[in-house]
Amino acid sequence: MTKKSLIKSIVGVALAAALTQPVAAQQETEVTLSRFFGSCEADYGSVADVTKARGECGIITALVNKFNTTNELGVVVKPQVAEWATYYDQLTARLAARDVPTIAVMHESVLGDFVARKLVEPLDEGFEQVGIDTANFTEQAARGTIIDGTTYAMPFDTWAWLWHFNLNLFEQAGLTQADGSPVLPKNPDELLIQARQFKDATGKPYFGWITAGESVAPTRTFLTLVNQQGGELFRDNGHRIDMQGKEADIALNLMKQLWNEGHIKQGLDYSGAQQAYLNGDVGINVNGTWVIDNFVAASQKAGSPLEDGYTVVPFATLYDQKAVFADGHSWVMLKGGAKNEKERAGALAFLKFLWDHNYEWSRTGHLPVSKSIIDSEEFHSLPFRTNILEISSTGRTMPSNVARQRAVETIIGEEISNMMLSDKPADDVKQSIEKRVNRLISK
Amino acid sequence: MHLKVGNKFGDRLILAAVIALAIAWIAPLVWVFALSFKPDEFLAQRTDVMLSPPFTLKNYLNILGTSQVFGWTINSLIVACTQTLATLLLASLAGYGFARTEFRGKNVLFFIVLAGLAVPEQAIIVPLHAMFADLQMHNTYSALVLPRLALPFGVFLMTQYFKAIPKDIEEAAMLDNASRLKIFFRVILPLSIPAQATLGIFTFLNAWNDYLWPLVSASNPEMYTLTLGLASTQTNFAQSEGLGFLMAQAVFASLPVFIVYLFFQKYIVAAVSGKTVR
Amino acid sequence: MTVAMKVEASADRIQARKRGARAGQRWGNALFILPFLVVYLLMLVIPLFKGIWISLLEVDMLSNSADFVGLDNYVELFSDEIFIGAVLNTFYFVLISTPVFIALGLALALALNRPGRTGATLRAIFFGSSVLSVTIVTLVWKLVLMPHHGMLANITESVGLPSLSLLTSETWALPTIAVVTVWWIIGLPMMLFLAALQQIPREIYEAAALDNASRWRTLWSITLPSIRRTVALVAIIEVILQFQLFGQAQLMTQGGPNNSSRPIVQFIYEAGFRNWELGYAAAASQVLFAMMLVAMAFQVWLSSRKQAY
Repeated sequence: MTKKSLIKSIVGVALAAALTQPVAAQQETEVTLSRFFGSCEADYGSVADVTKARGECGIITALVNKFNTTNELGVVVKPQVAEWATYYDQLTARLAARDVPTIAVMHESVLGDFVARKLVEPLDEGFEQVGIDTANFTEQAARGTIIDGTTYAMPFDTWAWLWHFNLNLFEQAGLTQADGSPVLPKNPDELLIQARQFKDATGKPYFGWITAGESVAPTRTFLTLVNQQGGELFRDNGHRIDMQGKEADIALNLMKQLWNEGHIKQGLDYSGAQQAYLNGDVGINVNGTWVIDNFVAASQKAGSPLEDGYTVVPFATLYDQKAVFADGHSWVMLKGGAKNEKERAGALAFLKFLWDHNYEWSRTGHLPVSKSIIDSEEFHSLPFRTNILEISSTGRTMPSNVARQRAVETIIGEEISNMMLSDKPADDVKQSIEKRVNRLISK
Repeated sequence: MHLKVGNKFGDRLILAAVIALAIAWIAPLVWVFALSFKPDEFLAQRTDVMLSPPFTLKNYLNILGTSQVFGWTINSLIVACTQTLATLLLASLAGYGFARTEFRGKNVLFFIVLAGLAVPEQAIIVPLHAMFADLQMHNTYSALVLPRLALPFGVFLMTQYFKAIPKDIEEAAMLDNASRLKIFFRVILPLSIPAQATLGIFTFLNAWNDYLWPLVSASNPEMYTLTLGLASTQTNFAQSEGLGFLMAQAVFASLPVFIVYLFFQKYIVAAVSGKTVR
Repeated sequence: MTVAMKVEASADRIQARKRGARAGQRWGNALFILPFLVVYLLMLVIPLFKGIWISLLEVDMLSNSADFVGLDNYVELFSDEIFIGAVLNTFYFVLISTPVFIALGLALALALNRPGRTGATLRAIFFGSSVLSVTIVTLVWKLVLMPHHGMLANITESVGLPSLSLLTSETWALPTIAVVTVWWIIGLPMMLFLAALQQIPREIYEAAALDNASRWRTLWSITLPSIRRTVALVAIIEVILQFQLFGQAQLMTQGGPNNSSRPIVQFIYEAGFRNWELGYAAAASQVLFAMMLVAMAFQVWLSSRKQAY
């Protein structure tokens, strides 16, 4: 008895607290939107003017706000923001618990796993209804979202692994050309020579990328280097990884040498890497497309070490082929997510809305996925976008027949980090990668 | 010991050492507290200036302008309070049953319950997750609380405690022909408040700090507890762009428990300083 | 006081009615246990056996397929270097953290077992961090340990030492997590020890004072023997708690570098909820369970031996 009444009173207090918050009207159709990109309610909670938003979090938040205030279907999109690092763990848990969000963001590299288990809805029919033209998908986006002729996701962007330069430091090191653009190394030897030159002149390391806290950076760099040599890591129809090729060897050795000679700043986690770059402690921040907008903002700020000295290019081509690690964010409708026809229609309307606002999203730095936007004057006039346009053709992901790519990426990254941070011999690293990855993908 | 006169110097030395340690102990918190009053843009570049300007209240105003943290705090409070009260009730009842009553198979049952002390939650997290999934009960308060009520430690603690209460007390009550349940609620339970406080604090803190089970069960952000919610804004992306806001969130999120704690702390000290029946 | 009076007042009437009050309540008494037993059965016993069953299956969480594979999961575990590493890490962590919890907890309790405001404030400080959730703790410490810009880096740099990067050091990652864990929850052992110290009758100390016994002698021959049960209790609690290390490692180091700080629980979490291999995760859970049983049996044996003296 006491227990019950106490619980009641607690719930009562909670309800009272909940009631003080604005509550959506009951009649509206609710569409839940599971995503990462962070939460920034504080800055953008009430911003519905998308043009005023900056950064991934700001723009997606403002887009949702705008949709909620302008759509005429009475649909309310309710974002459910999860942590990036555990996003898929949680999404999986929700699927297993049958508490499924209507729409979820998904990396194109992950989509295959969900499609193979029949967990996402085919979207061709729905796209036709709301007028999303899949023929307008860029090549990269179509490759990522259309599997065996069926469209399973709405692409949102293409992102890739880039070099963000601090041109002020590069100038100091004598590594700029007459027009102010940076001198790019054309092969591994040049890279090492220039990195040494940079270090001698500035006393700072050439590269800063994430070496602590998460392991995706080494993976992306490694896969870029292997792809630039035309190497293939996966065999047996994607069921086996083979690290014994010379391409893997060369890539690992280059990374090891860069590390040993001190050309990669040590001990940086994601925020550390950002901070080090913004403070002018490194020459190049190796990171994705999503930071372009923030860095542009920093370069426009007086007194910033980056002032008037920012540019960005795709990961420099050090071997025979142009190639750079790329992936894309996309939106899927999960099976069992939409509870009724109204919710489904609302979700499709929101997807169409996102599709129509693809330009706004590309202001983050990501490449748009609609051909007409990528060719548009509007997009080309954004800073540095012409530098990275080639990504949509040179971008490389893991072959789509490789399962559990997320886990595979993590393992490769962890092991390469071991090589750099803990002096694990390259041969052992290769063996460990094979053993651990093959356990996962051989089945 | 402090009554001794001869050892004053030693006492002071120890006290000085402990004070020094205490300063080191709270330094990280002071640091975060100070940083929470700095603008984000400033923190993105340097974190080594605490006491000189710039200062701002923007981080806190931002919290007040958004409801997320409130929602998480409420979830945490509901879960932790319910769990604490339910644990106290279940454990006290069971502890009393084991300590002071006789029935068939009691010793075997007590042994079985004690054996549960050795079962870590992680040993059963996979099947537990599957069970709640089958019942479609994930992302509910019940899912967050129920698995935690099977706390053998609580039963163990209460049993030990009840055993130490003199038998005469309840035998006196029995003379009045009071039922066992009545005796339990009227006589025994009030006597066990110190033990309840200990177990209550222990349970509350465990519930409050719980991470693994909520992480797999409360996968819907609307059901996040404070612990999960703070993890969700702790993504690398947020960290580089909103350090100050994050710090303010941490401070804000700690406040309610710190306040509750200050109340309880007095209570604990009083409870353990010899005013028990023992 | 009221209690004592009640006892006295009714003491003479006890014998008279004792027999009658007890009769016929045998079954009813079990009802006290029933609510807990139901929860215990549903939330602990059944899952435990279900977990053992799942560990014999190969289950893909998302496609809901399950095949019986016998002991394959266990065989695989023991050839999985990451798992072996996680087992060793967990033991190492328990081994370095538990003694600190006992020693520091006891030391603080002894030093702070004093009346007055200073003692209360200091107790409040050391216990205070326990109320923080693990995510606040890791956030604070990640900031403190951040290379180049963290609080520690600021301190080491201001005295001319190089900036440390403890969380990316294979040697220091796990000990650092241990330090953070001690910082976080030293309050509980301290409070348990304080409670025990205050149960020691004051007369014993007064007698010792009359004998002019030294501080150390008092500690060794009076204080410690009086609280040996609490020492055992704290040891058991800490071993149980520290075997379950998860959040600090997952949030601060993700188990790295080179698998030097991945505890078993993180392995279980990753196997089950990242790689969707529920059977494999359940098998790892059983191993953790077995390890904790062994460790606890050892401790119980050890503490029962001590008490025999």
